[in-house]
Amino acid sequence: MNDFRYVRKGLKRTDGELIVTGRARYTVDITLPEMLFGKILGSPYPHARIKKIDIERAKELEGVKAVITGKDTGYRRFSFIDTPAYPADQTPLAVDKVRFVGEGVAAVAAISEDIAVKALNLIEVEYEELPSVFDPEEAMKDEAPAVHDIIEPNTATAWEDFGIPLTKSRPYKTVNNISNRTLIEYGDIKEGFEDADHIRQDRFEIPSTSHMAMEPHVALANYQPTGKLDVWLTHMGYEHKRFWLAKLLNMPMSKVRVHKTYVGGTFGGKISIFPYEFITAYLSRLTMRPVKITLTRQEVFSVCPPARRMIVYLKMGVKGDGKITAYHAKVIDDVGAYRTSSPTAMYLAHAFRNPIYDIPNVRHEGYGVYTNKLFTTAKRGHSLQQMSFAVESQIDMICEDIGLDKIEMRLLNFRKKGDVLPNGDTLRSYALPECLKEAVDKIGWKGKYGKGRFRGLGIGTASMFSGAHNFPFASGAMLRLNHDGRIILYIGQTEFGIGIDTVMSQIVAEVLNCPIDYVIVNSGDSEVSPNDIGNWLSAGMFVSGEAVRRAALDLKEQMLKHASTGLETDVENLDMLDGWIVSRSEESKRLSFSDISKYGIQMAGGDPLIGKGFAKCVPEVYFWKGKFNKTASLSSGKGRFTEAYGLAAATAEVEVNPETGEVKIVELIVADDCGTPINVKSVEGQIMSQAVMGIGDVLLEEVRIKQGIVMNPNLLEYRVPTAKDIPKIRSIIADSYEPNGPFGAKEVGETSRAAAISAIANAICNAIGERIYVLPMTSDRIMGAISDAKGDNP
Amino acid sequence: MKRSVLLRVNGERHEIYIKPNRTLLEALRKDLLMTGAKEACGAGECGACTVLVGGKPVNSCIMLAVEAEGKEIETIEGLSKGGDLHPLQEAFIDHHAFQCGFCTPGMIMTAKAFLNRKPGPTKQEIRDAIAGNICRCTGYENAVDAILNSAKEM
Repeated sequence: MNDFRYVRKGLKRTDGELIVTGRARYTVDITLPEMLFGKILGSPYPHARIKKIDIERAKELEGVKAVITGKDTGYRRFSFIDTPAYPADQTPLAVDKVRFVGEGVAAVAAISEDIAVKALNLIEVEYEELPSVFDPEEAMKDEAPAVHDIIEPNTATAWEDFGIPLTKSRPYKTVNNISNRTLIEYGDIKEGFEDADHIRQDRFEIPSTSHMAMEPHVALANYQPTGKLDVWLTHMGYEHKRFWLAKLLNMPMSKVRVHKTYVGGTFGGKISIFPYEFITAYLSRLTMRPVKITLTRQEVFSVCPPARRMIVYLKMGVKGDGKITAYHAKVIDDVGAYRTSSPTAMYLAHAFRNPIYDIPNVRHEGYGVYTNKLFTTAKRGHSLQQMSFAVESQIDMICEDIGLDKIEMRLLNFRKKGDVLPNGDTLRSYALPECLKEAVDKIGWKGKYGKGRFRGLGIGTASMFSGAHNFPFASGAMLRLNHDGRIILYIGQTEFGIGIDTVMSQIVAEVLNCPIDYVIVNSGDSEVSPNDIGNWLSAGMFVSGEAVRRAALDLKEQMLKHASTGLETDVENLDMLDGWIVSRSEESKRLSFSDISKYGIQMAGGDPLIGKGFAKCVPEVYFWKGKFNKTASLSSGKGRFTEAYGLAAATAEVEVNPETGEVKIVELIVADDCGTPINVKSVEGQIMSQAVMGIGDVLLEEVRIKQGIVMNPNLLEYRVPTAKDIPKIRSIIADSYEPNGPFGAKEVGETSRAAAISAIANAICNAIGERIYVLPMTSDRIMGAISDAKGDNP
Repeated sequence: MKRSVLLRVNGERHEIYIKPNRTLLEALRKDLLMTGAKEACGAGECGACTVLVGGKPVNSCIMLAVEAEGKEIETIEGLSKGGDLHPLQEAFIDHHAFQCGFCTPGMIMTAKAFLNRKPGPTKQEIRDAIAGNICRCTGYENAVDAILNSAKEM
C-alpha cells in the first residue's frame, strides 16, 4: 500500500503562504461598503415571561437603522436536530419567554458598534420572573418548573424536504422537562447480570467545556435588491447554514450564497444555525444593507453553546476472566434551554462505544433534560469523550476489584475485524488491538505499572464514525481541465484547520499522476460547489475525499479517450505521467494535459472536459417519496449508521504531587487507526491537537454555571493548555486500510481526544490510588480524594 | 473627541483620525484595514493580536493607539519582503505549525521579537516565550520546532 506518489506523504499546506502572511481572510476580517453593525440584547434572567419590550427610545437614537424583537422574527423555529418526532424548539429571538441568561430578546443594527451598544441600553424590557430549574435530576421531578410545554412544528425539516411525508411531523409535548429519549437494547441484561461473577455500579459527571475556537462567532450578511442573500460565516459546512437561513427567511435555498472564508477553528461548535446568524441576515434584508455581528469572547462563552454536560450511571457485569456479560448505561444529558443535538448525542453515546467492546447484553438509556441554563451542543467526539471517561474508568475499577490485567481484560473484550455490529455496520478495518498493544509497549507499561508511589499509568480507548447518513447525506465534486493543462477542483469543503485544499489536491494528483501544483482548489463556496456533507460528522475525507477521487477518475477516463483518438492508439496503451499522457509502446507518442484540453475544444465539438464524482455516506440507506431503507432510528438505535469507524487507544503516565495535588503528565501516547493517512503531517497534527485538548479536558476546563450565569466567561478564568503545559506526546498512526475509503482512508479528527482523556484520567487515579468520578481533575479535587482516603476532614 | 494620530507601521507613515480610547488593534484593523493581527479575546489574554511596538511584542487589543505614536510598529503584513517569506514564515509552513491559522500571525510576531533577543534558544525557552499565545489546534509542538529551526536559519 506504499506505492503512492502524493498520498501518504507529509506535503506542506498548499495555501500556507496565506496563513503566515496574515492574508488568509476570516469572516472577522471582511468589511463591506455601507456595512452596519448588529448587537443583540440578552435576558438577565434564567427563566422569565416577557411582558413588554419598549424599543422607541432605541429607534430614535441617531445612527440606529433597525430595532427588532421576537415579535418581528416570530415563531420561526430551528434546531441542530429537527426531525418529525423532535420538532425544532428554538427561535432566533425569544418570543414569549426567556429560558436562559443571555437569550436574545431584541437586536439592533446601527452605523457603528458603539451606537449599537448605546441603543441596546435604551431598550426597556419588562419581565415577570419565573421559577427556574438548574439541576437536570431535579428537573425530571414532577414538581419542577417546566422549561418548555408543547413544541409545535412549524418549519419543514430537511428530512421532509427529502421525502419523509409532512404528516409524520407531530407536536412534542414536554413531560418532566425531558427533551428527548433514547433506548437501545439487545440481548438480555437480566440474564447477563445473573451470569456475571462481578458487578459494578458507578455515577460519573462531566461538565461543559468550551470549544474555545480562536475566531469568535461572527456573521456578515448582505441581502441584495435582486432577492439574493450573500453570507460570510465561521462554520463547518454550508449546506446546514443555507438550508436554515432559507427556511427562516422563507426564500429559495439556492438564493443563499455562503461564501468561502477561512474559519478560525470550530471543534464541533459552529455547525447548524445560530440565532446571531439568522438575525444578521434578517437585519440585512430589513435595512437592505450589509450587516455584521461579531460576538465578543464573553458573549461566545455566555450565549454560544459549549459541549454537552452529562451524568452517566453505569453498571457492568463481568465473568471472573474479565469477559463483559452485561452493560447498562443511563445517561442524563443536561441540555440547557434547547435540545439542539441531544437526540443524536444520546444515540452516539451508545454508537461511538459500540465498536470497541463486544458485549452480548446491552441496555442504553439516554435522556435529554431541559434546564434554565445555556444550551449545549456537539464538541469533537460528541458524547464519545463523556462515555469513554465513564466506561474506561469503570473498566479500570473492575480490573482493580478482581485483580485482572488492565491490558488483557480490554484485549479479551475488543471486537474483531470483520465483525458486524447489532445495527448492521461492518468493521471492515479494525486496528484497535494493535493500537492498544503499541501504546502500551511504547510507554513501557510492563516495567512500570504499579511500581512508583504517586506515579500512575492509564489506558483509554475510543471510536468514531466516518460520516453518517444525516442531512446533507452525500458529497459531490467537479474537476475542470483548463487549456494550460491545470485542473480546477470545485468542492464544498470548509477550511477550518484541516488543510482541505492540500489533501484534496493530493487525491487529484494521485489519480491523474500530475504535479500537485497542477491542481487549483476552489473550496467552500455554496454557489459554485456541489452538495457537500460538510466538515462535521467526521465525514470530510471519507465522503468528500471519495467524491474527489471519483471525479478525478471520471476526468482521467475522458482525457484518455481523447488522447486515444488523438494519438491513434488504444486507451489500454496509455499512461499518465507528470502532466502528460504517454504511449507505453512508443515513447515519442505523447500529449500534454494542455494538449488534451485544446483537443477537446478544437476536435471534439468544444468538449470542456469536466470530471464529476460523488459519494454517499451510507449508500444503502435512503428515503424517497415515503419509502425507506434501513434508516437509523436515533431513539432505538436500529438501522445502519456509517460505513467505517476510526479507532484509537492511548496510554498516559503521570506523576501527582501529594502535597499540592498538582499533576505532571510524564508521557502521553496516542495510537490512531485512521486507515491510510492521506497527509501524514496533517494526520499527526489532528492527533496531537486532540491529545492536547484532552489534557485541558482532564486538568483544566469547565464552563462553570451558577444560578444560570456563566461564571468564567474569559480566558483568565477559563484556562486552556498553553505551550508550557505540553508534555512529551507521541502520536502513532496504525497500519490499517479501510476498503471503502479513498485510498484506504477514514476518520481521524475526533477519536483521539476521548482516548487521551480516559487514559490521563485513569493514570491520575492509578497514581493516587483513589477514584475521581468527575472532570476536570483539578488539584483541589485530587487533594480531596487523597485526604478522603486518609480519613482526613476535608 | 477624535484626534489625529500618527502611526508608523512597517516603515510607512499613516495619519488616522480616532477617539483617544481606541486600541492599537482597532486602529490597525478598522482604520488601516490591516487584518493580519486578530482579535480573539479583546482582553490581552490570548496573544492573537500580537504586534511589535519598538521591537517589543504587545497585545495590541489592550494598548491604546495613541500610546504607539512615535514608535516603530511591526505587523505580520510587513514581515515578508517583496514575496520573499521571512525564515519564521517559511519554518511555520515547513513544520506544519498551524492548522486554522487564526493565532499564527500573533505567534510569529512574538517569536520574531523573542529570537531578536535570544538568537540561540532552547525548546523550553521557546515554550515560555510563546506561552501567552494560545493555539487551540496544533498542540504547540510544531510551532516550537518551527521557531527552533528558524533560529538556526536566521
